[in-house]
Amino acid sequence: MKTSRKTTGEFDVRVWSGGAGSPVLYLHGFEQHPGDAPFLRKLAQTHEVMAPEHPGYGSSTGFERLHDLQDLILYYRTLVDSWGKGPVDVIGHSLGGMFAAELAVMAPHLVRKLVLVSPYGLWIDDQPLADPFVLLPPQFAAAKWHDPSKAANETSAFDAAEGESAANYRTVNLTTAAKFMWPIPDKGLSRRLSYLTAPTLVIHGESDGLVPASYDQAWARALPQATTVRIPGAGHMPMVEAEGAFTSLVNDFLG
Amino acid sequence: MKFHWFAEATYPHLPADYHERKLSSWVDTPWDLADPVKVGQMYHMFIRLMQQADRDGFDGLAVNEHHQTPFAMTPSPNLLAASLASTTQNAAILIIGDSLALYNPPTRVAEEMAYLDCVSGGRVIAGFVFGTPMDSVFAYGNSPPELRERFHEARGLITRAWTEPKPFSFNGKYNQLRYVNIWPRPIQPKLPIWVPGSGSLETWDLVIDQNYCYGHLSFSGLHSAKPMVDAYWEYVDQRGGDMNPHRMAFTQLVCCAATDAEAEAKYYDAVRYFYRNNSIGPGFLAAPGYTTIRSQQAMAQHIQNNAANLKPEDRARAAAGEMSFWEYDEKGYIIAGTPERVRQRVRELATDLRIGQLIGCLHMGDLAEETAAENTYLFGTEVIPHLRDLWADQPDHWTPKVSQDRVAARSQATKEAAQ
Repeated sequence: MKTSRKTTGEFDVRVWSGGAGSPVLYLHGFEQHPGDAPFLRKLAQTHEVMAPEHPGYGSSTGFERLHDLQDLILYYRTLVDSWGKGPVDVIGHSLGGMFAAELAVMAPHLVRKLVLVSPYGLWIDDQPLADPFVLLPPQFAAAKWHDPSKAANETSAFDAAEGESAANYRTVNLTTAAKFMWPIPDKGLSRRLSYLTAPTLVIHGESDGLVPASYDQAWARALPQATTVRIPGAGHMPMVEAEGAFTSLVNDFLG
Repeated sequence: MKFHWFAEATYPHLPADYHERKLSSWVDTPWDLADPVKVGQMYHMFIRLMQQADRDGFDGLAVNEHHQTPFAMTPSPNLLAASLASTTQNAAILIIGDSLALYNPPTRVAEEMAYLDCVSGGRVIAGFVFGTPMDSVFAYGNSPPELRERFHEARGLITRAWTEPKPFSFNGKYNQLRYVNIWPRPIQPKLPIWVPGSGSLETWDLVIDQNYCYGHLSFSGLHSAKPMVDAYWEYVDQRGGDMNPHRMAFTQLVCCAATDAEAEAKYYDAVRYFYRNNSIGPGFLAAPGYTTIRSQQAMAQHIQNNAANLKPEDRARAAAGEMSFWEYDEKGYIIAGTPERVRQRVRELATDLRIGQLIGCLHMGDLAEETAAENTYLFGTEVIPHLRDLWADQPDHWTPKVSQDRVAARSQATKEAAQ
């Protein structure tokens, strides 16, 4: 995967891209962009992958332009349009799952197939999600991972050469996440899901303590066309903890 | 120099093992630890004490806003202020302050402060606060990166609502009001405005640009605050701001008694209660985007700069209630002892930090009312009159003219009656 910067209007965004095949847009989760991640490289063997770092994350700019979720989805609509590939497949992980679903609602002509991985966006009153902004590091790791010792396998877009500290990088990222997840990561998507018509695959890690796999029932109810799959031995990061199972599920679905 | 009476309305009947239970004292503290009947009695006690402070020579009665905590059970400062505005005569009603982002629409702040200014005869000081992370982003659910924007939008709306002669429309990012035309409006043509902070550079810019009174409302005293307050004044100076000490407020726990030994006997338990029972769950201490990275770096530098005077382990011991009474005093957390000793230590503090508005915490923790009443009397009659010379050469534009005049007149009358 190679990195570049892509300027769209007032947004200047870091992008990881590579591979050949049908076009896939990957939208990362609430903590960070995974950088040159093994699972992205694997997807790039059969797809042309574009993985932008959300505005407001890392060194991607434009956070101050985002008043609400709609502004961000319009940005992604413009980005996909300017890619010039016609409709693309969209994979969204975690908070990126919420963004991907919103994009499929707002711009159905641009989204061919949709993959939602451990997606935020729904809220079930009697199954309240853990608060990722309050959990202390050990509890957070326990919720995020099936096996917290696998945390070292997670890749990151953090680049010390850019002059920021790792702590500041994380603060910048979580500040942007807070914009869309605070205090409850439900910004009305459930009202809009009836407009989502793309074929959809919903993947959950069986041991995800942040977005429990049981949430897949709500997705299935809202999206009759969706297939739901739970990956064993994985938490909130199935593409890291169960990379093989994850990539073959995704490739089979996207075709 | 001005002196304001203040207390955190701390619930005084927490179980003895509360600290050991490691509960967060904010946000999700279980309510079943408290008895609402006793809460009511506590509120009455604070009202009585502040009415006394009004008679005993204090310049202001300070009320504040916190949420979901037994440490400070004052969800709306305006409610307590209303009790005081109609039952006191002299002191300023120092609302320090309303958490602007939490009032929807913020014209409610403009209206309620105007009401209080009318009832008190022009004695209101308008304090605007961001609110702690526990209050504003956890208890009240504001998205942290939006909090400051909401605050500033509300501040603009409120100050305009007080002064704009004709109805106007307000089309903000967070507030849309087709008709702004508040009734009542304040008596004071320009309400004094105070904005407390904990070192954010953006807040420093605000108070310098608007010439507001800045407040550092810590409970950790001189040594903890010194690097930050010094840096603040240096920043004001660099930016060509007003160096008048009357535009700097500081909180200080005060424990006054006839003898030093009596002070220790009467206050030590309450001081420990105050510190050890305020244990904020670590997850609620901060939120991403609440403080900018620029300010985080500046604040970290202040803490590093004062490590010589106040070691991290000292801070931990103070918070755990593990210091001796006189160690709390030595480290600056409290100023304790006879009125003579307190006088001298307050003089040093005010001079060292360049403070013209001292917000004295005359009640803390589970202190007995009679001790707080004695504290109030001793401080009001034997400390304040001896410190009036401090900064007397500089005008105070940050307290109401009415309260300045009435407090001075009452002090004169008391003096004459004594002769």
